Amino acid sequence: MMHAGLEHYLVVSFLLFSIGLIGVVARRNLLVIYMSLELMLNAANLALVAMSRFNGNLDGQVLVFFIITVAAAEVAVGLALIVALFRKRQSAHVEDLTSLKL
Amino acid sequence: MSVSYLFLEIMVVLTGLGLLLIDLWTPAVHKRRLGYAAAAVTALILALSFSKMVDPGAPVHAFGGLFVQDAFALFFKRFFLVAAVLVLLMEVEFADRIPAGITEYYAVTLFALAGMMTAASANDFTLLFVALELMAVTFYVLASFQRSRVASLEAGVKYLILGALSSAILVYGIALIYGSTGTMNFTKIAEQSARLKESKIAVLGFLFVLVGLGFKVGVVPMQIWVPDVYQGAPTPTSAFLAVGSKAAGFALLLRVLHGAAPEVALSWERLLMILSGLTILYGSLCAIPQRNLKRLLGYSSIANAGYLFIGVSVGTLSGASAVLYYLAGYLFAVVAAFFVICVVSKTHDSEDISELAGLWNRSPLLASVLSLSMVSLAGVPPLAGFFGKFLLLKAAAEQAVSYPGYYVLLSVAVVGVVISVYYYFGVVRAIFWSRDDQELSAIPISRPVKAALWVCVAGMVLLGVLPSWGVRVTAAAAGMLKF
Repeated sequence: MMHAGLEHYLVVSFLLFSIGLIGVVARRNLLVIYMSLELMLNAANLALVAMSRFNGNLDGQVLVFFIITVAAAEVAVGLALIVALFRKRQSAHVEDLTSLKL
Repeated sequence: MSVSYLFLEIMVVLTGLGLLLIDLWTPAVHKRRLGYAAAAVTALILALSFSKMVDPGAPVHAFGGLFVQDAFALFFKRFFLVAAVLVLLMEVEFADRIPAGITEYYAVTLFALAGMMTAASANDFTLLFVALELMAVTFYVLASFQRSRVASLEAGVKYLILGALSSAILVYGIALIYGSTGTMNFTKIAEQSARLKESKIAVLGFLFVLVGLGFKVGVVPMQIWVPDVYQGAPTPTSAFLAVGSKAAGFALLLRVLHGAAPEVALSWERLLMILSGLTILYGSLCAIPQRNLKRLLGYSSIANAGYLFIGVSVGTLSGASAVLYYLAGYLFAVVAAFFVICVVSKTHDSEDISELAGLWNRSPLLASVLSLSMVSLAGVPPLAGFFGKFLLLKAAAEQAVSYPGYYVLLSVAVVGVVISVYYYFGVVRAIFWSRDDQELSAIPISRPVKAALWVCVAGMVLLGVLPSWGVRVTAAAAGMLKF
């Protein structure tokens, strides 16, 4: 059986990060963009946990707890904002965010 | 005791929580005035920051090296407290434009302040992340606080998406740095700094962290959000973003680049210079056609981030202390400008430059304060903005002897100043020489606003005319970083 080394975890985490980044840049729905952002944060979590394991100290895992908490707070605020905007605009698409321009 | 070094932050958070509690027993008509109480307590905390218990004199590390209390951290804490007092007074003035929950607005501002103050003391990536996110999440709320205005919500959503993106990149960068060093602590990372320059993973990590912090200060190419958010957000929030969030970003940039990874920062000198030059040009050129005052200040804040970035790229003691001095002058000029916008736009819901027509006849005080602030931002002697720019350019010129690339950056900066004189004086022209239909009703100014405006004027003038004290304080603060 093949043993999973640090590089395997890092490759997966890098792929997750890239998928998230592509999602943020390419998708047009605010909720999907938001999900992609969470994916990027979780990519960082995976990298931190793996490196923490291979570095032999727990600092990385401590940060993961904070990231999970912060992500929850961000989601609470973010979804509230998206709902409030949807009520005003009847849309959750980035193309409709055009009231602020020169 | 370690906790005593957290005294200021704890006091700020308790004030915010206390406000929310007092709100329950306050009749709706008086809720607006709670802002005065909040500003008074914040001013008291500012006074307490000079006490022996908080200010140990020598740098002290607490909580296992996570937290550092030194002159650099205290400089920024006092800076944020001054900004918060002025912003809270502005929020009271703004209260009638916030349909509900004005006390929450004050409280969330205080929580953002706590985040900034903690960021100033961060000596570890864990604390850096938590402090930055405390700031970011509270600012998402503050930016969209006028829920009935689409512009405010839109500003909030834009800040949220781009802010979350930048913090995801920042966290990934932290993970990479942690992976290659095995620690989150700046002091321990600095011990390995020479080796880090060779490690591709660590350099990529620092680049990601630079992106995350660059977003906060609004440096090219992470500046897209600035004009939109400044324009759409409630005026006091824009002011706090322009001053507090930017200064916190610079405090952390200096700490990370020159505290944790001086060798990496040195090898990036050219990259930082290019970013700085591009930011100056982008901000100055895009500001020219703007008609909305807040949007204009947004672009001006991008240009100012570029000037401040000169000090970061120089990487010398004089560069870092020039950054601190410039930020102090910038604080008073920008808060004064937003104060005037806040008062003038009270009657109309417009922040267009043409609204300033005849301001001199309507209120000589507002007209002269806004002109003074524009003149200071443009860098005309003898105001604070001039001396700050002078110190930054001097720091760059000192380095130019050994690295001629700085001559290019210096000329870019001078071009930026010339362009900025044009658009800042567009505002001054609208105040004094506008031929539009003039409204001549006098603008009433409340006493706290007058006091706050005079504080800003005093700051702008004193930092320009009597620089020696300020230079000594900023040099002592910047001396805490290793150069």
